[in-house]
Amino acid sequence: MKRWHAVAAATLVAAALTLYVVSRSTAAEPVDLTTTGTRYAATVHIADPAPGRVTVEITVSRGDAAAVAVSAVMAEMGHSTPEISATKRAPGRFVAVGELFPMGGVWELSIRIDGPAGEEQLAVKTLITN
Amino acid sequence: MTRVLCLAAALVLALAALAAPAAAHNVTAGADLRVAQTIAGAEVTVVIKGTTRVPGPLRIGVVAYQPVSGPLLSLEVRSVEDGHTVTGTAQAAADPQYTQLQVERTGPHELKLSAGNETAVIPFRVLVERAPGGDFLIYGGLFVAALLLAGGLLTGATARPGRAMALAAGAAAGVTVAAMVIVFEPQMPAPAPAGAAPTPTTSNAAGRPYAQARVETVPARPQAGEEFTLRVDLIDGSTGRPVDDLTAHHEALAHVVVTSEDGRYFRHVHPLRTAPGRLEVRLSADRPGRYLAHAEFEREDSGGQLTAADFLVGGTDKAAVGETTKASEKAGTATPPGVPTRADTTVTPRLQPAVPVAGRPTMIELDTPAGVRTWLGMTGHLLIRSQDGEFFGHVHEMGSPGARVRFTFSFPEPGRYLAWIQYATADRIVTVPFTVNVTTSEAQ
Repeated sequence: MKRWHAVAAATLVAAALTLYVVSRSTAAEPVDLTTTGTRYAATVHIADPAPGRVTVEITVSRGDAAAVAVSAVMAEMGHSTPEISATKRAPGRFVAVGELFPMGGVWELSIRIDGPAGEEQLAVKTLITN
Repeated sequence: MTRVLCLAAALVLALAALAAPAAAHNVTAGADLRVAQTIAGAEVTVVIKGTTRVPGPLRIGVVAYQPVSGPLLSLEVRSVEDGHTVTGTAQAAADPQYTQLQVERTGPHELKLSAGNETAVIPFRVLVERAPGGDFLIYGGLFVAALLLAGGLLTGATARPGRAMALAAGAAAGVTVAAMVIVFEPQMPAPAPAGAAPTPTTSNAAGRPYAQARVETVPARPQAGEEFTLRVDLIDGSTGRPVDDLTAHHEALAHVVVTSEDGRYFRHVHPLRTAPGRLEVRLSADRPGRYLAHAEFEREDSGGQLTAADFLVGGTDKAAVGETTKASEKAGTATPPGVPTRADTTVTPRLQPAVPVAGRPTMIELDTPAGVRTWLGMTGHLLIRSQDGEFFGHVHEMGSPGARVRFTFSFPEPGRYLAWIQYATADRIVTVPFTVNVTTSEAQ
């Protein structure tokens, strides 16, 4: 009987593992997206993408950025959020903190970059899960 | 365990309910993106063929619907992620040669199409299908099971029941994984292709907010016989932002029909996206007066929308003295698409009933020559405008193949309607204008 238990336990573990692998794709993962415009190239990093207060790190890898501001639009529902000015931490490194995503869904994050080369608005799309 | 498996099955079924990726402007192997454009006075359809791998070839062709003798169109494909750009040229032709460009990665790209002094930027995504993850689990599970079962048998033969059982348990686990995946895989969502746009896990919204169109001409008051730009700025009604999520709706970002108030002038054109939310097309009108512009388009995950506007053309009637014809001949430009020519009017459509009744289906049939080509995804198009321009309709050919195009339409109200049937032959787009007088059922 005990031996039969071992087989049953192994089966359960395998079933649980299979489900984990299958459902893994829906888990929230950090956002890391790069977009390149004509003047600037920016990488957006959001460590914990979720509705509510988030910290967005913007690294401008091309172009001399003086100021960066972010805002978001959820096209599906027609929601938009106010622009948040990012704080310059180092040359090319900016951090914006605020409530960018009021709800879960696909959001387009607009990154408005200003600098000596002029202003440019870049955008990345990301899925925010509850 | 039965309970656990039931729960597992429920979870897997819930996952299967995930929304499929939006099909807007995606370029995958076997699913071409076709976008009609009115550029440099010609009506063309840009075809972007998908690739099965990255880095890999992206083939682009430009299909012409009338003889094009202009310069080559220049192509520039740019990855929006890393800015990597490749360029090439294409010659528009009825059966075009495809230009092969190398793309380095999946994800958002832009195709910049230039001809003459006009440039369109068409956003699209390069997608590459991923092998379903299920296969790996099925074959992996069975492989592990087979190895362990063989091990279990050997261990059992050497009278080590404990170890044999452990191996048998491992084998059972492998078989379980394989069996579960085999059973549930058909219900599991296919993995999103590499480069796909994120899709919502739960979708409560049935379509996106409406778009408002601000239509203007550049210059603000065009003169008869002179070229002008018709500009359509689309704005989201909920956010006030430019609408830049148009999907290829009947093979175009937008279908714009410009008619003069009396219906003698007719153009069915496909404006170029020149900036986010901005569509532009070059036109010239031969007579002064009021013109109507109807624009049809569709946002991603939404239904089609129609916006209407009007504008004025000043100057004197150039058509009366035939100057327009001379001017276009001098410039060597092709006849603009959708221009009714004398040859177009030799055949008249048949209506059934002969006097259509408002609210009842009317069949409209027109004999066509051999060799009609599909244009904008259909064999034929019927565009209808009420006399006052308040009503606009776009009907598609739905008849069985034959030497004719056939449409069915219920005219909403009695009155006089202006109508145009359009179809493409080997070397041109034919437009047949006619009028329809619709009566009431009481008058019958």
